[in-house]
Amino acid sequence: MILKGFLIYGLVVLALVSVAELRGWSLDRVDQVPNVPKTVRDNPGSYRSVYSSYHHYTGGK
Amino acid sequence: MSPNDPAGPAAPQVKALNCPSCGAALTLRSFGNAVSLVCSSCHSVLDATDPDLKVLQKFKAAEDEDSPLIPLGTRGSLRGTDYEVIGFQRRTIEVEGIHYSWHEYVLFNPAKGFRYLTEYDGHWNLFSILRSLPEDDSGASTVTYLGEVYRHFQTADATTTFVLGEFPWRVRMGESVTVSDYVSSPRVISKEGTGKEVTWSMGEYVTCGDLWKSFNLTNEPPVPVGVYENQPSPLSASVKSIWAMVGMFLIASLLLLVIVYVTARSESVFEQTYSFDAASHDEASFVTPVFALHGHTSDVELTTIASLNNSWIYVNYALINQDTGRAYDFGREVSYYSGRDSDGEWTEGSNTNIVTIPSIPPGNYYLRIEPESDPALGVILYTVSVKRDIPQLIFFGFGILAILIPALFITWRAMNFEHLRWAESDYGTPPDDGSLIGTLENLASNFKSSNSGDDE
Repeated sequence: MILKGFLIYGLVVLALVSVAELRGWSLDRVDQVPNVPKTVRDNPGSYRSVYSSYHHYTGGK
Repeated sequence: MSPNDPAGPAAPQVKALNCPSCGAALTLRSFGNAVSLVCSSCHSVLDATDPDLKVLQKFKAAEDEDSPLIPLGTRGSLRGTDYEVIGFQRRTIEVEGIHYSWHEYVLFNPAKGFRYLTEYDGHWNLFSILRSLPEDDSGASTVTYLGEVYRHFQTADATTTFVLGEFPWRVRMGESVTVSDYVSSPRVISKEGTGKEVTWSMGEYVTCGDLWKSFNLTNEPPVPVGVYENQPSPLSASVKSIWAMVGMFLIASLLLLVIVYVTARSESVFEQTYSFDAASHDEASFVTPVFALHGHTSDVELTTIASLNNSWIYVNYALINQDTGRAYDFGREVSYYSGRDSDGEWTEGSNTNIVTIPSIPPGNYYLRIEPESDPALGVILYTVSVKRDIPQLIFFGFGILAILIPALFITWRAMNFEHLRWAESDYGTPPDDGSLIGTLENLASNFKSSNSGDDE
């Protein structure tokens, strides 16, 4: 029973790894924005990035 | 009785007797096979081979004396044979000043003879006397029987501390014999005797549930406590096969990795170097030329490389599908700092940042780029490159971990089971019998002893 369970579990893990590679999954965070107007190509400043107000680190050690 | 008698054959009648000591009625269930008979009223041990039932011994039982969990006279079917419980005894050993007792039930079948059920802390074994002698390899603390090696578990002097019912031997209260157990789960070989008179018997572990079902018992069975000497481990037998499967899965993962790396496009679709002056008041955002992403839905890897030293640049990106208007929005910081302090040289950050955008369908895309930085840092050069369908090694890492973790857990559980089993033996630790569990247990044990040696 445990062997059968482990066999199925291992096959599911391999299948998930295959799907992750095939579909190009990633751990990085990206936001999707639908329907961006075509005018952005002519006026890039009109697009408001989700991350434009990101407070970033500006120091060093 | 006629062959057509609808009532069937008449049930065998037991012989009714009276105790010569107290006059209480006695029941002899094993006919002429019993050697000793114990009166349940006055606790006289009687000679069952004597027509007058000569009193051999009389003992006083405690008020709260153990009563058989399976009452005398109960009938049940074990391994396809019907048995009746005819005798009950308690035997006690003393180890380091502590008394441990187990119970033995004498079972009888007119055709098959006697079998014995033992019970200790809710663990049951069905014993039968061996017809041939095991090969006793005293040097290796093992015995071999029918090609199976049994490892010595424990030797102790067992004393009979309570008896009831019938016995096929001359039973005596207070009688002591030396008992040695050799185990090969789920079986155990028991050697008991005094001097030259030795009896070998073999027991096999029986679960409480099966036993209660066999005897149709309605009382609550005792809950097994701890791990018994020959109790079959639910996991030990699986450990070797589990690791064989782990090996198989690792090979499959490696093959998959090769296939993924061979078939991935890993295609460079865009690369451009830009300069950014944060002090400039011009609009910082701009768009790249359109580039095509081919193939099936897969990831896109965007790399930002900036020439920095003790400075930073933050870039807002949007990967926009020109045809559908869907944008993938993200921001990445590239910063690199270095210097020297009392600890010596130090660096922090990197000139390169890589982001993987997941599951991007094929199509025509462009990037909207909006850099930010400290106006005091001057002009910063940075290169943006885009690659399509790059294999992600991390998922193979997760996959291998996901396979290893349960395998390690099962191994640990199996080791723990064997550890608990052998902790009760004369040795304290499992034998190094060449099995995976035995080898791991001994490695762990040696590691512990070497560490404790270092501490000293």
